[in-house]
Amino acid sequence: MTNAIMDPTGQAESQAASRLTLAQRRGDISGTTVVLLENGKQNARLFLEDVGALLRDEHGVGEVKVRHKAVFSTAEPPEVIDAIGAECDVVVTGVGDCGSCSAAAIADGVQFERHGTPAAVICSEAFVATADAMAQVQDAPGYRYVTTPHPVAGLSPRQVQERAGQVAGQIAQLLAAAQARTAA
Amino acid sequence: MAAVAPDPDVARDAIEYCYEQGWTDGLPVVPASEPLVDRFLACTGRAPDEVLWRMDHLGRECTVRTAAINAAMAGCLPQYFPVVLAAWEAVMRDRAAKGGGWQSTSGPAPLIVVNGPVRHELGFNCTGGVFAGGFRPNATVPRTLGLMLRNAFGVQPHVFDQTTQGLPGRWSICFGENEEESPWEPLAVSTGLPEGTNAVSATLTRTCEFVDNRHTQDPEQLLWDFADTMVRSGSLIFRSQSVGVVFCPEHAQMLAAAGYTRDHVKDWFVEHCGLTESALRRAGKDAMSEGGQGVRSASPEPRVPGDQLTRILTGREDVPIVVAGARNAAISMVFRVFGQWSNSSVAIEPARAPVVAVN
Repeated sequence: MTNAIMDPTGQAESQAASRLTLAQRRGDISGTTVVLLENGKQNARLFLEDVGALLRDEHGVGEVKVRHKAVFSTAEPPEVIDAIGAECDVVVTGVGDCGSCSAAAIADGVQFERHGTPAAVICSEAFVATADAMAQVQDAPGYRYVTTPHPVAGLSPRQVQERAGQVAGQIAQLLAAAQARTAA
Repeated sequence: MAAVAPDPDVARDAIEYCYEQGWTDGLPVVPASEPLVDRFLACTGRAPDEVLWRMDHLGRECTVRTAAINAAMAGCLPQYFPVVLAAWEAVMRDRAAKGGGWQSTSGPAPLIVVNGPVRHELGFNCTGGVFAGGFRPNATVPRTLGLMLRNAFGVQPHVFDQTTQGLPGRWSICFGENEEESPWEPLAVSTGLPEGTNAVSATLTRTCEFVDNRHTQDPEQLLWDFADTMVRSGSLIFRSQSVGVVFCPEHAQMLAAAGYTRDHVKDWFVEHCGLTESALRRAGKDAMSEGGQGVRSASPEPRVPGDQLTRILTGREDVPIVVAGARNAAISMVFRVFGQWSNSSVAIEPARAPVVAVN
């Protein structure tokens, strides 16, 4: 008689969450209230504020509020998602530019979508693999987000403004209408 | 017992199967069978289905049984399993390990210290070559934690593990304190456990750097030599940091002979470890970044920096001190704490009566 080799992942015991359905989009974002959820990484606040200004000036959003993550490395607790979701129409969050905060930013984005609040996550290009893996874990394979070249920390305010200009249009699109998912 | 030697080709097939499943850290693992895992589970009173830890953000958890499978695969003996469970808990008391520390670009390593009679009962090396490998419990207990991270929690390199470079021997830093030659109370006792307790204390570290000082008999000179390594600006990220020392017996005994307790040494380091404003400015770390959660940055305004000292250790809890290694040279190790040492120890569950194997 031979024994089976035991599986060290524990995966047989876990149960899958339900597949993500994106939050309903209105078709455009004019007049919406936006929360910029900045994660405290260097330049994140500046980056998001520049994006917020462009969304207001060029895409007609109404109020723009800034909120801060207490801990950049982990996803926000559900009560924070609820509270932020209740005070706005759409969320922009980031900047994912480290191992844990990129994955956490995606997890936050997916949580907002599940809450019913359209979200746009900004990640640096260096962390696409971990961001996509988190989307899988959250049962949102192919979840769309916005990338910016690495690094973001260390950029001058003018360079941050340029980066914001490069992605503001994509962010507006992601928030206005459901995008086809990337290949999972 | 088998009357004939085991078949090496069968063994290799089983090992290759584990590679194909993605279950190894690059080195061969011991393929785990249920009877073998049952022997691990018999060494603990904890229920196999008890959830040891859950990482909500990754949607993964590790039960006692899954930990036992990984311990068997890492090459542990069943009787090491209570140490593995205590080591896991001790590491997870480090604040950074609870957050996203395992996913960090820093790629920190657990540093695990064992105290008590269990060191000798299980054969943990406490003396020559504590960082150098060659001893089964020292090698397999930390390897188990690495396999748990990889297999049970799905933190795999290049995906959820975003380590930029990491450090050599990431899953191999585990040793017994050299209590017999330490002039001070055991580490576990210094964190509040009773004398003679079998216990584990752990933290996450980013690197280890030796201090070789066989040069002076003056304790202050010796401490200044350590301070130079402890304060280097390259490892300074936040306003303050935490740095520990694994003293060799010779350095520890010299300090103790001069009247220094463990706390005196800690206080000395807190008082004297710092960088001047000009040294910080030279390295672009003289200011605190706005909204940067305590991260240092380069000061934007032009000014002439002074020689005012910025202390980098905030208190005794920032300076874990351990004694280990051989009493054959005055060579010690500074280790850089990644987040924050918990300043606590976890008691190891007492060994249970051996269970007669039924297979």
